Amino acid sequence: MSEPAPHLVISAVSKRFGAATVLDRVDLTIRRGELVTLLGPSGCGKTTLLRAIAGLSPPDTGTIALAGRDVTHVPPHWRNVGVVFQSYALFPHLTVAGNVAFGLKVRGAPKADIDRAVQRALALVKLGHLGGRRISALSGGQQQRVALARAIAVEPDVLLFDEALSALDRKLREEMQIELRRLLQDVKATAIFVTHDQDEALTMSDRVAVMNKGRIEQLAAPRELYARPASLFALNFVGLSTRIAGQVVGGQDGMVDVVTPVGRLSARGAFQLGASVIVATRPEQLRLGADHEANSASGRVRSVVFQGSRTLVDVDAGAGASLLAELSGREAEVPRVHDEVRFAWPAAETFAFAAEASP
Amino acid sequence: MMTRHAIIFCWVLAIGLALFLLLPLVVIAAASFSPTPVFDLPLSGASLRWYGRIGRLDGFWPSLSLSLQIAVLSTALSLVAGTLAAIAIARGRLPGATALGTLLVSPLMMPGLVLGIALLQYFRMIGFTATWSALLVAHLVVTLPYVARTMIAGLSRFDFTLIEAARTLGCTYAGSVIRVMVPALAPSFLISGLFSLLASFDNYPVSIFLTDVRSKTLPIRMLQYIEEAPDPTLAALSTLILAGTLVLLLISDRLVGLHRMAGTAD
Amino acid sequence: MTDAVLSAPVATPAPDRERLAAFGFVAPSLLITALVFVLPLALLLGVSVLDPKGGVTSAHYARLLGTPYYLGVIWNSLRLGLLTTLIAFLISYPAAFALARARGPLRSILLATLFLPLAASVIVKAFAWTILLRSDGLINTVLIAAGIIEDPIRMIFTQTALIVGAVNIFLPFMVLPIYAVVAQLDSRYAEAAATLGASPLVVFFRVILPLTLPGIVAGVALVFSLSVSAYVVPTLLIGEKYPTLATTIAKAYLLAREPGFGAAAGVVLLAIAIIVVALSALLSREPK
Repeated sequence: MSEPAPHLVISAVSKRFGAATVLDRVDLTIRRGELVTLLGPSGCGKTTLLRAIAGLSPPDTGTIALAGRDVTHVPPHWRNVGVVFQSYALFPHLTVAGNVAFGLKVRGAPKADIDRAVQRALALVKLGHLGGRRISALSGGQQQRVALARAIAVEPDVLLFDEALSALDRKLREEMQIELRRLLQDVKATAIFVTHDQDEALTMSDRVAVMNKGRIEQLAAPRELYARPASLFALNFVGLSTRIAGQVVGGQDGMVDVVTPVGRLSARGAFQLGASVIVATRPEQLRLGADHEANSASGRVRSVVFQGSRTLVDVDAGAGASLLAELSGREAEVPRVHDEVRFAWPAAETFAFAAEASP
Repeated sequence: MMTRHAIIFCWVLAIGLALFLLLPLVVIAAASFSPTPVFDLPLSGASLRWYGRIGRLDGFWPSLSLSLQIAVLSTALSLVAGTLAAIAIARGRLPGATALGTLLVSPLMMPGLVLGIALLQYFRMIGFTATWSALLVAHLVVTLPYVARTMIAGLSRFDFTLIEAARTLGCTYAGSVIRVMVPALAPSFLISGLFSLLASFDNYPVSIFLTDVRSKTLPIRMLQYIEEAPDPTLAALSTLILAGTLVLLLISDRLVGLHRMAGTAD
Repeated sequence: MTDAVLSAPVATPAPDRERLAAFGFVAPSLLITALVFVLPLALLLGVSVLDPKGGVTSAHYARLLGTPYYLGVIWNSLRLGLLTTLIAFLISYPAAFALARARGPLRSILLATLFLPLAASVIVKAFAWTILLRSDGLINTVLIAAGIIEDPIRMIFTQTALIVGAVNIFLPFMVLPIYAVVAQLDSRYAEAAATLGASPLVVFFRVILPLTLPGIVAGVALVFSLSVSAYVVPTLLIGEKYPTLATTIAKAYLLAREPGFGAAAGVVLLAIAIIVVALSALLSREPK
């Protein structure tokens, strides 16, 4: 089965602002109809990359090709990209319908076509009845939808979302994430999201690009990103984890033995003898009890946090090391604070990363 | 959050203030209907004869024409120059933008009289004696600060992301400015235009030193009338000007809102 | 004086093409201000120290700052400024709060009464006050008719007339800046202070007053500047009895043909204005 042709190809794109390198030879290929998120902390370059794709801030070197066309230095008004801004950037002097129709009016489309497209776009975002409303009379959630409708109405090649949901309150935000993903899949749109919220990235994307210091550290589907983080940064940025420092004392076949303050642990990785590493695993991998076939450690429970469907247990394992375990709601035995507990987890789900200076 | 007494006190002062401010205007309007050549108030009757005499005031029409020309032209030029400067300053990407803004607005705080004599010296020194042109150039400095102040304030509230949004929707940079920034700035533009027109039309401290025997702006001519032969014709003229301004204010309130002119956001 | 809000993403230095365009935008205004404002004033400074026989002299300043008469003139100007500003402030500050609470047609009417006088020339308004304050003027006529007084009170050409007229004419310039700030005052600051135990008096002095300070400073600076340099008001309402720097300048240029001396007086007036502006800029700077 052949892959659909790549829709957006970013190749060796770099950009500097003064002495700072904001994008460092970034490569990214996106297929038509894919939803990709650029995820990372502020300053990682995700917004700069998005703006480069939009044409608002062209790169210094590298190329960007959209639908087969080299658009690296093409100004935004010829690129046919749709952008939804964090502040929505709705035109205050136009009504809702006026905003949505803006892109089409600029292109000189006939009035009947414009009206039809506006109606369709507003219906898609479930605001069909608000066409005549002034922007100032809308709630935040409604403004967000209008911004989306406006970007969709011109049927762009790719939709770009610049932290577009961050101004919404949490419940609305979570609802919008799901609704947005469904809508984009329905219209088979290609979309790129920029966010620093890992939950949003995991919810909405087909693939996630974790960015750090102008580089893409890992590009993978959410499931893989979570279960098989490629770096300490990716591990830290997405999801919770137990992290224990140690030194490599042996290993083979892609596994290493690491000596740590809580004992000898086995992890995936390939390192030199004596290398300083961080051994990590996801909280849901930890099981109460001993297991000689697996990694294990013990300690005193420091806190127990009930979160509805799961309970997080934080354990002081001594010598500055901590364990973070997640017990599902179905677990009968939940330890109490100050209890002495032992946890075990599979070596296959344990990773070793090079210990680096703080990211 | 204010106590009852405090609120009443404030309202009393506010109403008193309003009446106090209106007092001279009412007096002028009343005096304009005086049946006698003397300003006898209260009026013993009412007459419109002074309104008829306005046109026959010595040198009235040339002065009116001069004032209007200078006001309209200097305002137009300042609107262009000031708006362009305000855009560059408010964008914030210019080094020393704040200092520049302060410089452009500073003539408002300077005594006009001093500027008047300075310009008199200056124009003489460089041989710039054409009265009309000298007045126009001088009034540029009178009107520009009003435009700069209002437009910088208005632009600082403008979200430049709107321009980016318009560009991604298919507008060129210039097109975005026209379609998005112009409508957003129209109120500020109108307000600065209004203030500039009034500032130029009513200006005397600069004009008094630059007018000569043949060309006098209206305020200077009026000062002359007051000192030489004050009669109610002057009051009639002033009342007409006031009425015209009232109409302008009403239009501005419709278009922009007076509280917006006072500098508060919506 | 202005807050330029950056709405573009953080700290992106403009590419050269945009920087050039920005300079181009500012150039006309900068040119006008430099050539028609800064340069003439600088020249004025030069003229004030110029000896007609050649060379530099401080004779004009010696006369201005040395003779008791002219020191008195300077003091007259300052006094006019201080009194006008103080009275205008005391009236305007509370009134602004009432104005800020007004809504709808009442607010429009009150604002109109602030704007309308601005449209009438100072000359017209000062003239109106002469009508009001003359011995046979309106106020006296009303008072006599009401039987409150028997003989007309001497009001015109007194310092009281001067101050009343000056306050009347410059009042809008005090109210508008204060109103602009008061109208945007967030009531939650006062509420927060109250929940922390502050009495209304404390709330006023420690919350309201500091928050409205920018408006106060702007109004005070503007009104002081205007009243210190007022020419028409003193000329029409008090005349020769109260010489000010402004009337001195006008006389020096229009009558006595003493440009050097007039220039010196102008420089002194300018210096006063600059000091006021500098002080107000310092005072309205955000505390660290």
